[in-house]
Amino acid sequence: MKSTQYTEKVMDHFRNPRNVGVIENPDGYGKVGNPVCGDLMEMFINVGEDEQGVEFIEDIKFRTFGCGSAVATSSMITEMAIGLSLDEAYKITRNDVADELEGLPPIKMHCSNLAADALKAAIDNYRKGTEPEVEVQASCKPIDIKIILGLDEFLGKGVYEKLPDLEELRDKRTLIVDSNEKALEFAIELTNYTNRVILATNRDEIPGSEEMRKKLKFSDVKILRQSELIEILGTDSVEKVLIHDLDEDENYELFVDSVIILN
Amino acid sequence: MEIYLDYQSAKPVDPRVIEEMMPYFTDKFGNPASLHNVGDHATEVLNHSRKQIKDFLNASEDSKIVFTSGATESNNLALIGTARRYKNKGNHIIISEIEHISIRNLAKYLEREGFKVSKVPVDQFGVTKLDKLKNLITENTILISISTASNEIGSIQPYEEISRIAKENNIIFHTDAVASESALSINVEETPFDLITLSSNDIYGPKGVGALYLRKGLRLNPVLIGGGQEFGMRSGSHNLHGIVGFEKAAEIMEREMNSENKRLSEYRDLLIKEIIETIPKSYLNGHPTKRLAHNAHFRFDYIEGESLILDLKENNIAAATGSACSSKTLEPSHTLISCGLLHEEAHGSLLFTLGRFTQKEEINKVIEILPGIVKRLRLLSPLTPPEILKKYNEVKN
Repeated sequence: MKSTQYTEKVMDHFRNPRNVGVIENPDGYGKVGNPVCGDLMEMFINVGEDEQGVEFIEDIKFRTFGCGSAVATSSMITEMAIGLSLDEAYKITRNDVADELEGLPPIKMHCSNLAADALKAAIDNYRKGTEPEVEVQASCKPIDIKIILGLDEFLGKGVYEKLPDLEELRDKRTLIVDSNEKALEFAIELTNYTNRVILATNRDEIPGSEEMRKKLKFSDVKILRQSELIEILGTDSVEKVLIHDLDEDENYELFVDSVIILN
Repeated sequence: MEIYLDYQSAKPVDPRVIEEMMPYFTDKFGNPASLHNVGDHATEVLNHSRKQIKDFLNASEDSKIVFTSGATESNNLALIGTARRYKNKGNHIIISEIEHISIRNLAKYLEREGFKVSKVPVDQFGVTKLDKLKNLITENTILISISTASNEIGSIQPYEEISRIAKENNIIFHTDAVASESALSINVEETPFDLITLSSNDIYGPKGVGALYLRKGLRLNPVLIGGGQEFGMRSGSHNLHGIVGFEKAAEIMEREMNSENKRLSEYRDLLIKEIIETIPKSYLNGHPTKRLAHNAHFRFDYIEGESLILDLKENNIAAATGSACSSKTLEPSHTLISCGLLHEEAHGSLLFTLGRFTQKEEINKVIEILPGIVKRLRLLSPLTPPEILKKYNEVKN
């Protein structure tokens, strides 16, 4: 997908951003990003209190320097957050913002999706008086932070965040996301239980220590290099995944029954 | 109607070229390698095309034109073919810091084969520093590859001086002339190039055809191996209809280049003058005078290039940017960084490239629309300083 291929909803928020501006003397103020990386966001909040004494976001404004998705995610989160209790607003993730915008191009998921961080920084600034400026390292490096759509939805329905019992995956087509040696070892072991074990890594070589690389090379583990898992799909449980090929800058689907992503 | 000002990315094929090509899909479809009449005719056509491309460069009879599938392949043949052929003479190659990605990646590839690559820096206008080039030359240097002009910021390179320096040191000089193919008339009688990369589409011919010019007596190792076409340097059956289109495109370009340059540089100067005057904190990238007639490359403080492109797109205007956010690697344009721009400055860049079908009304439309777009994005940006915001709020527009 091209970087400028945005959903209609992203374009709507880019064209007509909601809640643009500055709140003078705000209750909370957050700022994330870095102009060097091409994205900088400011978030201003005023906090109110309802009859039960619950604090909520009464007013919210933003200013953003950055690309189309940087503007759209900032605008989107102001719409999502206004009226929410501080606790609820604090829980909004980058993922939620991307979902609400009906998706972002994979390359934009990491770099221009800082609005949730800016809002958190503003709430922290209000509650704890913390520094409003938060350096988000990931802003320049797209590989560092991963957002996988559907991860929470299918947790326990084919998605594992801890290594399960091997027997549990018998005859299951399994995708393992490269994380540590244990996961790699597990992948090799799993080939004794199912004949479809796929390992996805964003590197352009076989991952792991030298010894592990050798073992993987001669194993039945199918290795997808320069590949990132971006979305898990299914109805009740995992049915397929969307993989982003970093080399070709293309997405493709892969049918699997389980996905292992260690934290 | 779409206002297309991204001619450096792709150009439409001139209808006169298409007309010339049509018979070669059906009636005159022969393979020059065949011995029958159909093949003989194809041979004649091929030779005629070769002659026309030589005329375009004012090249001598005994020089060679090798037809390829485009500029990237010509660059591959020039760099890989030279490096492998002359590796016993030396292992050092010089390119400039602002070469097109096809040259930079070829240099990287050859580094893995054991060659050493040096990059000549450029000045703030994106012009190759000749004294630095001289300093980089060693007795192991076998090839200098520097383009005639930057495809991005349009700065014209001192290729005449470079060719002299290369000749004095007995080094092969390759130039990728694609960026300037529609704007600079190259005369190999006057400037002793050894190798020149040409592309058909960049002079309004069909895509998928290009050529490499080789000075008399020069031979390269082939990159494509097969039936030994193109003097054994580029195998594969000839793309005859493409070559005929390329020939026609070159013939038209030769005839019309001067008048077109005059027209386009007038539009370009109008665009630059109006934009720099009406938009505060706007700057021109590249050389103020030594630049391609069709290139206007701007930079705006406080805003980001992809947003500019999107807003222009909403107004049916097609342009390009060197911002990281629009690139696959999330790195800003290497050319702008090489010219000394900071990353945050490179993010706010905007490139218009004009072409054969550009009309003056289109330029006027851009001049009318762009200030409003820049203003909208600046009002959104936390980087915009209060004095600029104040200026915008005072003027109702």
